[in-house]
Amino acid sequence: MEFKDYYKILGVDSEADNKAIKTAYRKLARKYHPDVSDLHDAESQFKEVAEAYEVLKDSVKRAEYDEIRQYGGPQQEFHPPPDWQPSGSAEGGAGSHYQEDFSDFFSSIFGGAGGAQAGGFNGRQRSGQRGQDIETELPIFLEDTLAEYSKTISYHLPHYDNEGRVTEVNKTLNVKIPAGVADGDRIRLKGQGASGIGESPSGDLYLRIRLVPHPLFDVEGHNLIITLPIAPWEAALGGKVTLPTLSGKIQLTIPANSQSGQRLRIKGKGLPSKQLQGDLYAVLKVVMPTSSNESIKDQWQQLAELSPFDPRAEWSEAS
Amino acid sequence: MNDTQTTYLSFTEVCLQTGVAEATVVEIVEQGIMEPIGDSPGEWQFSPAMLILTKKAVRLHRDLNVDWAGIALAIELLDEVEQLREKNRYLERRLSRFVDL
Repeated sequence: MEFKDYYKILGVDSEADNKAIKTAYRKLARKYHPDVSDLHDAESQFKEVAEAYEVLKDSVKRAEYDEIRQYGGPQQEFHPPPDWQPSGSAEGGAGSHYQEDFSDFFSSIFGGAGGAQAGGFNGRQRSGQRGQDIETELPIFLEDTLAEYSKTISYHLPHYDNEGRVTEVNKTLNVKIPAGVADGDRIRLKGQGASGIGESPSGDLYLRIRLVPHPLFDVEGHNLIITLPIAPWEAALGGKVTLPTLSGKIQLTIPANSQSGQRLRIKGKGLPSKQLQGDLYAVLKVVMPTSSNESIKDQWQQLAELSPFDPRAEWSEAS
Repeated sequence: MNDTQTTYLSFTEVCLQTGVAEATVVEIVEQGIMEPIGDSPGEWQFSPAMLILTKKAVRLHRDLNVDWAGIALAIELLDEVEQLREKNRYLERRLSRFVDL
């Protein structure tokens, strides 16, 4: 079992007073709280901090811990002293709400609920209580939002046995994703969360939709945007190009004298929603060829001499 | 936050499903952290997203030792940060189609 240096976790020295410990905890809690932080390991970081604070804020627990710390020390694999009895000081009292999630190290010293009864971030499981709600992300390709779409998902559920021990079970479910779902939408599947204890109902499963970024199309509400590269002469003269859409290729007319950044609207080729059908916008991007030859250079030269165009006219007005 | 499936929950159901005390849910509503449909607790109807919001507000209140007005402010700012991040991701993606970032 790994020895946990609670002083180090809170970043305080072993002589720190209660006030310093409280301040250190609050600072770290704000930083790592899973509802605030977007660090991917915020939850486990926060649990460590909460566990350290649970021990160090309490003079009885702190004294017990200091004793252990002298005996074992952080350098080696931790084993409780041979004659050590968990004090039970973790039980009762105004324990932290995360106590069920505390480490084996914590329970070997203080007894009480330990790793085996971990309840997960979303809270504890009291007897007679409704099962936990589970939230999980569901990545969806843009192509799959056009019509109702069936997808098999699998997710983990905590399962509580009669003694209150928890194991993780894998559950597979076939879900129907309605047409026109948007990024961040939640789909609630009633009763598909963790099972309740005894007669209590199961929790719900929430699927949070994440639209997978597409190599060609960007999403803006229910509209789609495609960046359409064109040659300078296509911008000048106009022309027809073949344009991919989410539902097959179409012919698009580019008007003469088009600008880079100009948007061309293709009605109805965006994403569906309950009320309306979004549009597709082609945003023009004028691209220069990377290589040239003598005859092409001559043509540009002629054009340069012929055209009175000043692309920096605004600058001369401003200066 | 959109709910694809809008089945509303009553005040009692919210308390039952979240395990949060009635007085606390009232406090969260009075702070304007969420706005259920209806004028009085008996008429209130909550969206499923509000269930998640309730639990989040309770966790923050408990773990950060911040009063309810502070929680209201924190949640508002967290929402704003989330929206700005989302917008920033979108603009970065758009911009990268035109220039190398």
